[in-house]
Amino acid sequence: MAKTEKILTKNWGHINPLKIADYINVGGYGALKKFVSEMKPQTAIAEIVKSKLSGRGGAGFLTGEKLKIVAENASHEKYFICNLEESEPGTYKDRMIVDNDPHLLLEGVIIAALAVGAHKAYLYLNGNYHKQKEILETALEAARKKNFWGPGIMGSSYDLDIEIFSGAGAYICGEETALLNSIEGRRGEPRLRPPYPTETGLFGKPTCVNNAETIANIPWIILNSGKKYAKLGATCSPGMKLYILGGSVKKPGVVEAPTGLTIRELIDEIGGGVTLGKEFWFAQIGGASGHLVTEKELDTPLTFSRDCPIPLGSGSILVVDKSANIYDLILSWTEFFRRESCGKCVPCREGTFRLHEIVSRWQDGEISERDREALKDILWTLENTTFCPLGRFAATAMGDAVEKLKILCK
Amino acid sequence: MQIKINGKKYSAKEKDTVLDVCRREGIRIPTLCSHGKLKREAVCRLCLVEIDKSGRLVTSCATKAVDGMKVETENENIQKARAINLELLWADHAGKCFQCKKNRRCELQTLAEEYKIENFHFVPRKGEMTSGEENELLLDNWSRVVVDRENPVIERDSQYCVECRRCINICPVSSYGFNHRSGDVVVGTPYNQPLDCIFCGACVTHCPTGALADQGDIQKVITDLDDTNILSVAIVDPVVLKSAMQELLEVKNMENLAGNLRALGCEKVFDLSWGFQKYVEAVAEEIHPHHARKKTPVRQRKFISSFCPSAALYIQKYFPELIKNIIDVKRPEELMAEAVKWEYAKREKIDPKNIRVILISSCAARKKLKSNAIDHIVTVRELGRIAREKKTENIRFKGSAADKFLDETDAEYATTYGYGNLSAMTAKKIKGDFSIGAANGVLEIKNALSAELKREKHYDFLEVMVCPRGCERGGGQSAEI
Repeated sequence: MAKTEKILTKNWGHINPLKIADYINVGGYGALKKFVSEMKPQTAIAEIVKSKLSGRGGAGFLTGEKLKIVAENASHEKYFICNLEESEPGTYKDRMIVDNDPHLLLEGVIIAALAVGAHKAYLYLNGNYHKQKEILETALEAARKKNFWGPGIMGSSYDLDIEIFSGAGAYICGEETALLNSIEGRRGEPRLRPPYPTETGLFGKPTCVNNAETIANIPWIILNSGKKYAKLGATCSPGMKLYILGGSVKKPGVVEAPTGLTIRELIDEIGGGVTLGKEFWFAQIGGASGHLVTEKELDTPLTFSRDCPIPLGSGSILVVDKSANIYDLILSWTEFFRRESCGKCVPCREGTFRLHEIVSRWQDGEISERDREALKDILWTLENTTFCPLGRFAATAMGDAVEKLKILCK
Repeated sequence: MQIKINGKKYSAKEKDTVLDVCRREGIRIPTLCSHGKLKREAVCRLCLVEIDKSGRLVTSCATKAVDGMKVETENENIQKARAINLELLWADHAGKCFQCKKNRRCELQTLAEEYKIENFHFVPRKGEMTSGEENELLLDNWSRVVVDRENPVIERDSQYCVECRRCINICPVSSYGFNHRSGDVVVGTPYNQPLDCIFCGACVTHCPTGALADQGDIQKVITDLDDTNILSVAIVDPVVLKSAMQELLEVKNMENLAGNLRALGCEKVFDLSWGFQKYVEAVAEEIHPHHARKKTPVRQRKFISSFCPSAALYIQKYFPELIKNIIDVKRPEELMAEAVKWEYAKREKIDPKNIRVILISSCAARKKLKSNAIDHIVTVRELGRIAREKKTENIRFKGSAADKFLDETDAEYATTYGYGNLSAMTAKKIKGDFSIGAANGVLEIKNALSAELKREKHYDFLEVMVCPRGCERGGGQSAEI
């Protein structure tokens, strides 16, 4: 694996995240300066379109296209939102960005918000991220003093107000329309689409919601051109990605690497292989809502492309060895979704509840015929009929466990 | 615009959803959350259809019709999805139908029957526990159940709730919302306070199940009806007829309805028109003197009709400064019930103690402002329940219409009291240069009253009615399915 330039983690451990001077010393806010003094919003967005950067939250929608739709909307009032909800179990990449390099994120937010023509940006923070809130508050204050945001940014005619909004720590609020509801003060549950947030979003105005990791890529793209970015990683969804390795690997943690790596490469080369004395069983890609991958699929490259059999999702890779108790794991998944369903639509509200009920009866691997039948039905309806993707996610891992690990065939 | 549904061509209008087209063309699609013009929530996931053979199921209520679209409303997957989702909902209802007030008038029950949901995969988790044994069985399953019997009008019992959100969307004063989340979700009031609203009853007519039902015990009514020592007098509001035809299947006109009531045990059946006439006359007398002093300030002028109890409650709650401006005339049913217990009892030489006045009402809120002269207020839904209990709902009773009351009613008062009728009749009665207005629905009432308070408008008489189209769509009427 060739060594590539780091984009997201280049400053981690080298600078004091609480000191803006450190960040400026390593060239920070250079992209903002370039954007303000040399670029027009359209050219900046054109660069991002060229970079083929896609959403790192999991859906993989092209960021440039999203920004373009909002930028081209004639409305005077637009919003830009940085999604820092991140409550997928085993995923903490956005938190690490804030912990280690908050100004990189801020710079990206400012550039992207100005590019789409928003005068107000929100940082939507997970309700449990108390420390991160403090870090961001400090960083925002420092950046405001330097006139990186506020009225007349760096002597230009750009205005931008940034506000931190702490959610209540609900998984569903990571879904963009539920997030909008949450900021508006409504119940955190997804909205009917269309209309999409890019047309009718926060307070009915065009809104651009992007994941924090996505945004953190933007300063680099502005400085180094989109063309250069497009050359990194896989051709279908280029760029760098933060992978979160966990479970039975020798070196767990957050690592930056290009997209398009195979799962085997990630586990063996970056994670240092499976923990000594353990035997690989399967890996889960993308948090509790992710697919399971067994030995024979390990050579699949992970990308955000729709053709990719295993979506990269949030980038978390949980390695499970053969000593793990699959029923405990399944119980924890179902418990999570039973708790985190918003309760809006029937299949998800009732389905996740019943799924958890069945699984708690099924600890020892014995399952009654009645439960087996009901379980299959519930997984099917979650997969096919729910209101928002969360319902489908709730069935993904479990469905894979049934299909690939044959857990029902005991 | 043309779309194909199940291989047949149909024309669709701009902004139509697939469900709109299907409903117009009489193609059956089951729904629980979508109702009439209410906001489409797409939460029950029963109206699923497949479009252009994509293999994906989408909700027909939220999918806009597009020219050339090919819709399939029935196939194996659709059937399967509907059956599973229904079964998940049905799990909390299984075995509870006979104790439920909406038994046989329940949309979920009808659908469960249609899709043959008879397997019991799950233990109901919502329910009031009675025995210790049950307690152990349901320990994990039992979640929050809210039962509200604090008010005389609307009984809430969240064990029957299917979280369809119709009540949330129909409520004119936004009483309901969601509490908790995921499987613990409960449709309820803020901070779970007992319901304190204007009791228009719209939520009850729209609730697909028994979660929102009429408060009160029909057994007491039945006991009085069956008691031979007691003269049961039914006062029938003529506006209930259309709705009663849905509950009592063989009722086609007032004669049938009166016959049915007599069969249930009402010795006398009177028409509320008499009370309506007396009411209009009394109101006219109240308004006349104001007119003489034309510039009477708002504070002293009585101009708001007292006819709609729900509107009176609304004013009490949201315009307390205008309570004094409600005309001090008893509502028609009160006037009439008092007449029954005094004049009529005297004339017929019956002890008023042995008379029970039963009002067959299109209105739910009347229960909240019930006068002592009326013994029972029975909504049309409750009338249906009584008839089903007594097995008379499928029988056609012929007979004469209402019995003769004290004096004859003018024929013009016999019309149904839809919205606007009261102001029209009053205008006819008082004749002259009066400014008479009418406001229908909470929003219009609010605007009219605010305009009056800001002195932008002047009313000598203002008819206020909360239910859409007045009592015709009253909160005590049978559910429109």
